[in-house]
Amino acid sequence: MTDDPARTDPQPSPGAAAQAASGNRSVAGFLQAYGILIALVVVCLGLTFLNEFFLTPRNILNVLRQTSINGILAIGLTFVILARGIDLSVGSVVALAGVVAASLASTSSTAAVAGGPYPVGLALIAGVAVGAICGAVSGAAVARFNVPAFVATLGMLSAARGLTLLYSDGRPVPALTDEFRWIGTGDIFGIPMPVVLFALVFAGAWWTLTQTRFGRHVYAAGGNPHAATVSGINVARIRFAVFAISGALAGLAGMILAARTGSALPQAGVAYELDAIAAVVIGGTSLAGGVGRVTGTLIGALLIGVVNNGLDLMGVESYYQLVIKGVLIVAAVMLDQTRNRRE
Amino acid sequence: MKKLLASAALIGMATTSAMAQDEPLKIGAAVYGLQAEFMQIWSEALEEHPAVVDGMVDLTIFDGRYDALVQQEQFETMATQGFDAAIFVPIDIEAGAEAVRIANEAGIPVVGSNTQVNSDLLTSYVGSDDVQSGYMEAKIVLDAISCAGNVVIIEGPIGQSAQIQRLEGNQKALAECPDVTVLEQQTANWSRAEAQTLMENWLTAHPDSIDGVIGQNDEMALGAIEAIKAAGLDVNDFAIAGIDGVTDALNAVKAGEMSSILQDARAQAQGALDVAIAAAMDGYEPMSDIWQTYSDMGWEGGAAASYNVPWTPVTADNVDDLLAQRQ
Repeated sequence: MTDDPARTDPQPSPGAAAQAASGNRSVAGFLQAYGILIALVVVCLGLTFLNEFFLTPRNILNVLRQTSINGILAIGLTFVILARGIDLSVGSVVALAGVVAASLASTSSTAAVAGGPYPVGLALIAGVAVGAICGAVSGAAVARFNVPAFVATLGMLSAARGLTLLYSDGRPVPALTDEFRWIGTGDIFGIPMPVVLFALVFAGAWWTLTQTRFGRHVYAAGGNPHAATVSGINVARIRFAVFAISGALAGLAGMILAARTGSALPQAGVAYELDAIAAVVIGGTSLAGGVGRVTGTLIGALLIGVVNNGLDLMGVESYYQLVIKGVLIVAAVMLDQTRNRRE
Repeated sequence: MKKLLASAALIGMATTSAMAQDEPLKIGAAVYGLQAEFMQIWSEALEEHPAVVDGMVDLTIFDGRYDALVQQEQFETMATQGFDAAIFVPIDIEAGAEAVRIANEAGIPVVGSNTQVNSDLLTSYVGSDDVQSGYMEAKIVLDAISCAGNVVIIEGPIGQSAQIQRLEGNQKALAECPDVTVLEQQTANWSRAEAQTLMENWLTAHPDSIDGVIGQNDEMALGAIEAIKAAGLDVNDFAIAGIDGVTDALNAVKAGEMSSILQDARAQAQGALDVAIAAAMDGYEPMSDIWQTYSDMGWEGGAAASYNVPWTPVTADNVDDLLAQRQ
């Protein structure tokens, strides 16, 4: 905890200040720091008791695979939210990157780009690039023209969906090459590719946020933009960069989704931003910026995945899953607030 | 983009051939949304109707964007602009009634198509009976497992007319096979990705015991197939069926992975337009060839209360022809 990046914040937000002021860790502090991890462990133990299939290797891989797309989106959003932004466009960017990359990797005579299918590497680069460009456009609107992030990405949510429908004529892009499908259906030493990519993205994000100067600047720019500017940090550049990162990761997620389902569907990814934001918030990252950890996001995404999977295994109607997710989101933030008041 | 050019060309043709008749009939088609393949095919078939191509009908397609209120406002627009007739594919069976009332008050005849609307002011309805398709697809699955074993049902959004009626059909077929157990029954909201997750979890919860999958549309059946493959199982060990005949499903039928039942979007759209023209013009004879294709569906002067477009099971024999039509 000594290297908690939030502490580099020159004028810490109330939560961080309270944390820094209380020298000895109270039970409440422990609960707050590890509460979400405890919740995940408790839910897993409960499900292990309730259902004989929950704790089987195949089901664990299923949960990880089902979590990977939301997890990757949530990691991108962690960057944005730490820098005091929000990205509502990731669901639409998922669909746009999916159809663009798929059209380069399709053998269909109608939906593919002429001269295709192109090598899978090119398709992957194109998908990530499309996502990064969408993010960069939102980022430029926020950083350069001072458009609120909510508004800029709300615009991108609509525009990217429209571009997806225009590009694909509203039709699925089918017949993807085996090489492209491998990123969604293949595995390395028995670990499904979406999980491998999720793990790589997590490791990269963790390293960037905790070990690099850029990471510390993201926290500083979100915690107190004014102080960050005074201490020589280019806040506009940081803001631009976090949106580009979120967009690029949404592009990656979109290609994994297309590769998993076998076609890139133009209506894919609707409302995915909500689950991703939920994972970030459940993971303890503050929407006010500057406070939070990517490990929290990982646990938050896993908790959502485990709950959905467990309820499916037990044959509980999917409508309950929505209610339970809603309760989780509010409960996680309430835990935060209670602790802040107490200290 | 292609679509934009095509409609620009259509407008061009409509203006040049408008001289064939003093004034073309203004007909509006209000569809619930254009973001999925089925309504795309439906709308394109409407634009290819001979009466539209030769300029006798000035056609406007309104995208309802999956919102009952948007559709209602589009009917208000049609009423203000004095349209001669309207074709209506409502998002909701109950909420669509108000839109029909608005048109009726303005003297615009409304022909329903594809999805039902609960209104007695409708001039006619051209669509397919979802109870029948639900029965047909379940029967295919049950026949394949010889009327014994375990199946799962993946449903559409609970409460939509297609989900209610297809489930009624599913249950009718299941009642004929008392030895079949329904292990799971849940919604995946017509979505391939949602169905894939659901099926992955069901395969874990019921190892080696699921014999058949009844998907209430093709997208969800395709999701189940991907889940089976991801679990390392053989798709051929499962009897899987869907409804609609979307392109990906036709390819899966060709690969022997599933069965599908084609909902003829072209016949629904062009049939509805013929009936709409007949409602606006006395003594009109239908111009679409679909009335020859489905000769059992009598024209009856365009005055019948409803026209039932038959379902076509997609088989290895007809799948290549159907795929060729999608090019």
